[in-house]
Amino acid sequence: MSLEAVTYPFIFLALFFESFVLVTLLSKPARAARARGPGEATPSVAIIVPCWNEAVTVAATCESLLALDYPADRLEIILVDDGSTDATPAVMARFADYPQVRIISKENGGKHTALNDGIASTNAEFIGCLDADSFVEPDALKEIIPCFARAQVAAVTAAMSVHSPKTLLQHMQNAEYTFGITYRHVFASLNGLYVTPGPFSFYRKSTIEELGGFRHAHQTEDMEMALRIQRAGYEIENAPRARVYTKSPSTLFGLIKQRTRWTTGFIRNVLGDYRDLIGSRKHAVLGMLVLPTAVIAVGSGILLFFISIFELVRSAVTAIEIHAGIPFSYIFTPKGPFDWFYVPVDFFLLLAVTMLLTSLVFIFIGKRISRTPGKIALGVISYTFLYGFVAPLWLLRATADVSFGKNRGWRG
Amino acid sequence: MAGLDIRSMTLFTRNALIALGITLVLVGTIAYSVNYLNNARITELSAIEDQLSIDILSLDTQFSLLEAAPCDSSASSTTLIGELANMGNRLSYAEGQLGSNNTQVIRLKEQYSLLEIRDYLITNELAAACGAKKPVTVLYFYSNAGDCNDCDKAGYALSYLRDTYPTLRVYSFDYNLDLGALKTFITINKVQGALPAFVVNGKHSYGFTSLADLEKQFPKGALATSTASTK
Repeated sequence: MSLEAVTYPFIFLALFFESFVLVTLLSKPARAARARGPGEATPSVAIIVPCWNEAVTVAATCESLLALDYPADRLEIILVDDGSTDATPAVMARFADYPQVRIISKENGGKHTALNDGIASTNAEFIGCLDADSFVEPDALKEIIPCFARAQVAAVTAAMSVHSPKTLLQHMQNAEYTFGITYRHVFASLNGLYVTPGPFSFYRKSTIEELGGFRHAHQTEDMEMALRIQRAGYEIENAPRARVYTKSPSTLFGLIKQRTRWTTGFIRNVLGDYRDLIGSRKHAVLGMLVLPTAVIAVGSGILLFFISIFELVRSAVTAIEIHAGIPFSYIFTPKGPFDWFYVPVDFFLLLAVTMLLTSLVFIFIGKRISRTPGKIALGVISYTFLYGFVAPLWLLRATADVSFGKNRGWRG
Repeated sequence: MAGLDIRSMTLFTRNALIALGITLVLVGTIAYSVNYLNNARITELSAIEDQLSIDILSLDTQFSLLEAAPCDSSASSTTLIGELANMGNRLSYAEGQLGSNNTQVIRLKEQYSLLEIRDYLITNELAAACGAKKPVTVLYFYSNAGDCNDCDKAGYALSYLRDTYPTLRVYSFDYNLDLGALKTFITINKVQGALPAFVVNGKHSYGFTSLADLEKQFPKGALATSTASTK
């Protein structure tokens, strides 16, 4: 069996997954979610901004919250300084005069402790979380609240994009996040989400209290809380037009560090504490499709990476050997006009192209349903040519960390 | 909550089945398209081969008809060598796509080998009958059975030489092809099993190290007289 044949089951699974996304996108629950408009109800809401050394961005984050189209007397903004050692407390103090802003200072204890302290300090009906490097659109909260209409909805996620992407890597992440908008929208319609991201996810406070607040959870408290909500039988919704922009790593090393943390958190939570959800018929799409596919994606991502590298090196060595001694003018001169006979189309290539094109379609759909402004072309190009080579780097690092029991710091 | 689980499970099952159907249709369409393209390649190869057969048979017949004065014939096989090379390139590419065990590829290779042998013989007969200078011919024997590491390199080097020196006549043969005429041809030319093997104007050499070494096997001045060098 050729190495190429090893990849077929994974490509088939990926195509099936994408087909499922497409079908569910057109299904009634997703259509109903897209038709849902901003609500008029204004229940009491508290938005917690946990900060640890976020002096550079927390002011803009806070300003975007103050600009939310929501009655000030129904909205609390709780800035929690988790023992910052930079100018974060001073920056926060500039907002102390706003009646809806409350500042809490505490010893450094981790993001989950900052969130729990914020939750404990409010009586609001709904709790929102916003990372201190993220910024929201003014209408975002009014898009979120109607998603809580049904009592079994315990959490609602927003539509994330990258804030002002500049480097190629940031553009790539922006395309990936935009793909994620489609993904979240689709799987929320079947209650298949397993993470409520830090940027602008909301929770019903009574559910959080019932479930017992945030935990350290291998530095992915947002994922653990979502899994706990799912296990308890509640639902996680998505508001595809609640736009939030978040800062993303600009360098490869920064990106690998961030994604290693996410991936190790995923592996440790899903294959550890929440293993029972994998294959659970009770949790339908989450248990039978989303989690198994996500686990397989980690392994297949690494496998496909090694196969690709092996094939690339082999092809390069063969090409160098074959062309040795032949003048470059001959090697690089086209041999006659275009001839369809030599178009290098084969089964593997067409499968891979189909898979890629479908992903690109989902990126455009994500941009459209969230009505996110800005151009995405550079993101699509960098996503197409870069993602497959960089993603395996953090998958490998995370798998190694989990295998060897290594724990890294939040920013380490 | 139980009602919701059932609803979600039903929708999940329905969507999963539809998605599976779409995936199968997609994969089936891709497989069909690739197969269609490969069949089109085979059809084109067959068409070229048919034309070559007619051309060579025509040349052969003319040669027989004008046995007394073959050199008066306006027919010449020199234009056929270009077509043979084109055919060889396409056949080699199709073999890479379809695999060397593909029955259609093997059949086409057998036909192609016969055409090459016939062209080689006619060329030699014409040269002998007309007293013309014998063209430089290279008989190249290769193997795709995994026992010839240098065959790809040798094949590419010969393609380069053939494209660079259009008067050079290169005939490529799969040494392992189960074809009686080819086996006889190999025996007559005293080619042993060490591959790649070259017979340049009757002179044997085995193995391939570099283009420069291969060029040394050619008669002095055979390549220098070319007019189409890209060097």
